[in-house]
Amino acid sequence: MSISRRNFLGWMGAAGLAASLVDKQAHAASTKEFAGHKGSYGVLHDITRCVGCRSCEEACNTVNNLPKPAKSFTDESVLNKKRKLTTTEYTVVNESVQKGSQIFTKIQCNHCLEPACASVCFVNAFQKLPNGAVVYDASVCVGCRYCMMACPFEVPTYEYDDPYTPEVVKCTLCAPRLEKGLLPGCVASCPTESLLFGKREDLLKIARRRIEKFPHRYIDHIYGEQEMGGTSWLYLSGVPFKDLGLREDLGNTPAPKLTSGALHLIPMVVSLWPVFLAGMYGMTKRRNTIANEEKALAVAIAIEQTENKAAEALSQAMEKARKEKENILKRVERTRENRVKKALKQSSSTNSEEGA
Amino acid sequence: MAGIISSSMVLFSGTNVMTNAQDGVGAAPEARADLIIIDNMKSFGPLEKATVEFLHDTHTKALAKNNESCGICHPVAKEQFYPGFKRLKNTSREEVMNIYHDGCIGCHGEMRLKGEQSGPVECDDCHMEKKKYNSSHLAIGFDKSLHARHVQAHENKCDQCHHEYDEKTRTLFYARGKEGTCRYCHTEQTKDNLLSMRVSSHIACINCHINNQAKNPLPPPVKCSQCHDASYQNTIKKLDPIPRLERNQPDMVMITTGEKDLDSGVKIQMSLVPFNHKAHEGYNDTCRVCHHQEMKQCSDCHTLGGSDAAKGLSLELAMHKKDTDRSCVGCHANQYTKNRNCSGCHQFTPTTARMSNRSCQVCHIPIPKGVELTDHTAQLLLEGRPEKPATYTQEEIPEKIIIGKLSKKYASVEFPHRKIINKIAENMGDNKLALHFHAEKATTCSGCHHNAPLTKQPSGCSSCHAKAFNDRDMHKPGIVGAYHLQCMECHTTMKINIVGCKDCHKEKSPQSSALLQREKE
Repeated sequence: MSISRRNFLGWMGAAGLAASLVDKQAHAASTKEFAGHKGSYGVLHDITRCVGCRSCEEACNTVNNLPKPAKSFTDESVLNKKRKLTTTEYTVVNESVQKGSQIFTKIQCNHCLEPACASVCFVNAFQKLPNGAVVYDASVCVGCRYCMMACPFEVPTYEYDDPYTPEVVKCTLCAPRLEKGLLPGCVASCPTESLLFGKREDLLKIARRRIEKFPHRYIDHIYGEQEMGGTSWLYLSGVPFKDLGLREDLGNTPAPKLTSGALHLIPMVVSLWPVFLAGMYGMTKRRNTIANEEKALAVAIAIEQTENKAAEALSQAMEKARKEKENILKRVERTRENRVKKALKQSSSTNSEEGA
Repeated sequence: MAGIISSSMVLFSGTNVMTNAQDGVGAAPEARADLIIIDNMKSFGPLEKATVEFLHDTHTKALAKNNESCGICHPVAKEQFYPGFKRLKNTSREEVMNIYHDGCIGCHGEMRLKGEQSGPVECDDCHMEKKKYNSSHLAIGFDKSLHARHVQAHENKCDQCHHEYDEKTRTLFYARGKEGTCRYCHTEQTKDNLLSMRVSSHIACINCHINNQAKNPLPPPVKCSQCHDASYQNTIKKLDPIPRLERNQPDMVMITTGEKDLDSGVKIQMSLVPFNHKAHEGYNDTCRVCHHQEMKQCSDCHTLGGSDAAKGLSLELAMHKKDTDRSCVGCHANQYTKNRNCSGCHQFTPTTARMSNRSCQVCHIPIPKGVELTDHTAQLLLEGRPEKPATYTQEEIPEKIIIGKLSKKYASVEFPHRKIINKIAENMGDNKLALHFHAEKATTCSGCHHNAPLTKQPSGCSSCHAKAFNDRDMHKPGIVGAYHLQCMECHTTMKINIVGCKDCHKEKSPQSSALLQREKE
């Protein structure tokens, strides 16, 4: 069986429509139920346990072979200023004084369950691995830095000082170490187990149990359980998270869901375009056919109408002729009668004369 | 009369003592304990003009100078001055406004004519949008010392303050032996002719104080600041020792359940608690801390099943509820979490967890069968409890422990084991709560050796704490985490300034580190 151009386009259109419908359903379901890869790992940062020793920073620096900082890791003066993540610091510890006591908060990539960076990246340079890590592939990156704009936690940084091969840089959850069965560098170095590595679902249970056992020590909130649809990095604290610089205005909707409405139109437009064009062609063609048909019909009607008119005229003429004939006949009859009457009159008079 | 009382209360509650003035630009507003914001006209609808700041003590002082009595401003009923300005009732908007305008401006104007210093007479000088003062008003508590001083001054005539109310005759009467605290009846808000605490206390206290000015060598306070100013409150003389309140209360008492026998005829299983009432009177400022609604036995409302009067709170909960300071257990828990001598160990006690079975008997002392449950029994049982801090002898306590198993960067830690135990024992001091609950020798050890059997040689840290992040036991910290958490959090809570790395760890010398490195290679 050969495929005609028309059939092919028709199938494509149908397939495209079906795909967009199915995709829409699947997408709606996924954002509702997707809670990260089952059994993925994460880290629970118990801020109440952190003593600000910066061992995690040092370990991060070592395992990632980053350049040594100007001030040593034991220099506490570093904590005087609030720091942000840089291309050579994948994690930093910030100090905050709340009600007279020092509180230390470690920041790094939170490894979102549905990462904003990945959702905006049009070359798919970011990937959420089943083990929980959000990793970056420099080989496909075009350097648009949309990821930096999209991240609500201000995590990705860019090597602006590298003129030739600048890359986006962020914490990898030590994905290479995880593959070898090692703990992330920061976690392994933490002396107070302020950082606890494990399966995300286990960490949530542990966090809940700590809150339950020590309600005075913790505020009843696990940061990262819901934020931005959930993150692999979870936080416990004794003071409100916003006082420590952790944003509480993010909501619980995963970033991809916020942009998915617009992004999901793209495949639909691409797949339906041929159908649309074919439709346009079909409609034009059909319009011509209909026009021709209408024309023929009009002619036929016109002819019919003319014929009818002629017949009517003929019948009228016939009627007229018939009436005229009748009138003539009537007149002829009358004339004959008159003539007979006259003749009769003449003969009677003659007879009386004769008879008289 | 009742009408007069309640309406005068409305007047008084209309003025708002606690309102703080808005912060103006420039100099900070002066803080005054006698600041009254006159906003009575609120009761007639929205205010047309700004509220008026009124300094009561300034006016008292000015009147005293001219030998005028309080009656020049305050109405008199039943031979007592009442709160409120020149009226007992808020009649109409027009009338009340006139009372203020005529009363205030009239007096100010008269004084000006006499050439004396006086208050404002023009609208905006009283009705100021920008406030000049801040209230520093502090509530005054009638603590046990102050009560005892009044008892002495009034020669044990309790009826001068304490009274009951007869519903039928609508009069007050005194009932000996039924004295309670004012707040049992006088609450925050006036209800019908039951005055609020604020109105009733001002009528009762100040009128009595005015009448006793001359008699008393130490004239009792009548000015606002004399009761409500922080600096004055600090100068109020405290009796030492503070005598006990006398109301025929027992020294030691058995806390009963209120039920003789259960329905089945079986005696109640739990041993009753002998309670040292006298000692607890000393720990608290007022009786209301425990007797929060009425001076009754706990079980009168808190029955075993939980009565409606106690909002369903059973006797068991009323005594053991943890998240309140009114129950025994809740108040005791507060003592050891707030006291830094205790909180080092006790911060690790889960706040919500059930207490150990062993601790029940500290209060529920087993009572032999057949013993009558009298106050005397309570006394015998309480006196029989050990009160000496009992821990092991110095020889039995290891002096030092070397923690060095996991040392990489730092040298081993020399842990001053005996010194720490001695300090814990010392911190218990003569705190009865601590002595009763740490009566067993090994409880001194159980702050660090938690979850270990209470023996002379409890298991060490590494018996339970192993390598970190065992995913089969995620709740338990690894050995490194366990050491740091236990030591540092205890030091932080007890405000012991040993929290830096080098406070405990000696850094390994570069030589030995290099050696270690070479060994590894």
